[in-house]
Amino acid sequence: MRDGINIAKLGMPSVALVTEDYWPQGDFVAKSLGMPNVPRVQLPHPVAGTGETNLSRIAEQVVDDIVSKFKSSGDL
Amino acid sequence: MNPVLEAIDESAALEQLHELGCTDGLPVIIPTAARVERMVLATLLDGDLVLGEMGPGMGVATVEKVAIAAVMAGCLPDYMPIVLAAVKAVILPSFDLTEMQSTTHCTAPLIIVNGPARITCGPVASGFGALGPGHRANASIGRALRLAMINIGGAQPGSSDMALLGHPGKFTYCLAEDEEHSPFPPLHSSLGFKTDDSVVTVIGAEAPHSVIYSGNADDPENADKLLAQLAVGLANFATNNAILTGGAAVVVLNPEHADIFSQANMSRDDVQNKLWQFTHKPVSQLQQVGGAFGGGRDPDGDYKTFNKPEDILILTAGGSGLYSMVMPSWCAGKHKNSAVSVLVETDQFCEIPL
Repeated sequence: MRDGINIAKLGMPSVALVTEDYWPQGDFVAKSLGMPNVPRVQLPHPVAGTGETNLSRIAEQVVDDIVSKFKSSGDL
Repeated sequence: MNPVLEAIDESAALEQLHELGCTDGLPVIIPTAARVERMVLATLLDGDLVLGEMGPGMGVATVEKVAIAAVMAGCLPDYMPIVLAAVKAVILPSFDLTEMQSTTHCTAPLIIVNGPARITCGPVASGFGALGPGHRANASIGRALRLAMINIGGAQPGSSDMALLGHPGKFTYCLAEDEEHSPFPPLHSSLGFKTDDSVVTVIGAEAPHSVIYSGNADDPENADKLLAQLAVGLANFATNNAILTGGAAVVVLNPEHADIFSQANMSRDDVQNKLWQFTHKPVSQLQQVGGAFGGGRDPDGDYKTFNKPEDILILTAGGSGLYSMVMPSWCAGKHKNSAVSVLVETDQFCEIPL
């Protein structure tokens, strides 16, 4: 989340990927760093360590959302 | 009725309690007669009902005295069934409270709550930061037991509680099992209780040791690697478990690590058995670091850190991620630091409005 915000503050499009369990923390960080609407996409939890097949499946599920958020992030 | 102290106001009363050694060093809620009566009332028990003696001072624990500790700790009346069960657990002879309170080891009673009382007598947290600050029930229930151990059991640092340093869990050390995210049956049902019972399990334990493991579902040895990592933390050669042997210990799996065992089709028994095997160690290593404790064994053989797999308590708690926790133990006393479980009696308790 913090990486996404730091990149956005540099003026570059960014979309943070945040897993479900850490979504509330993402909201907190976004608010505390003054960018409550910074684009983010929710992933299931866990992602790390769940294997390549699962990672590919998740990527398929969220790729359109990520691209969409990238396209609209310039509107912020 | 216990002796009543007098003070001109609550600030003066607090200073008096600090001076008398009745606190844990932090401010307490002043246990006025009205507050204590309210706490006793919640139990629907007679305040003079004797629960047993608490060593090393052999003070008599009554419902009223436990209620005083609960008030001082900041408990809500709702928490009393769990507090009483925890006190009853440490009073049982198999807990070896006198020895545990008097040892130079840092041991502190870890309270594990299972069953519906996690919610009805709490909520007792089992997720993110369950052993850290911010959860009133966890903080005050564990603290109430500690204050009972101080004020009823007579434990004072350096004169009757001889822990060389102690650890922060001696202020409070309480969590619930995350039964909803555990792939195993609730801990208390594995210990012989009914699933819908509410149970407190108490074990004297060291501070929690963090165990990092980054899983890889594509690795066929994923579960074994996690087990090996847990075993290192559970019985490294700095622990009493590895040196004194024969005690119990606790493994708190975060849901992600618990799921690794579920994916490997391992039951709690399977995990316990493997951990038991993984903590067998070469006598030659014990003799290098264990001093006199390593004597009398075949230097070419192995030895068992735990006498039996069931001595390793496995539960699920915490947020989901890289870190689980292990709590080695003291491994001494007549009963070798065994875990003790007691039913939480909720049927005769009454709700006290705020």
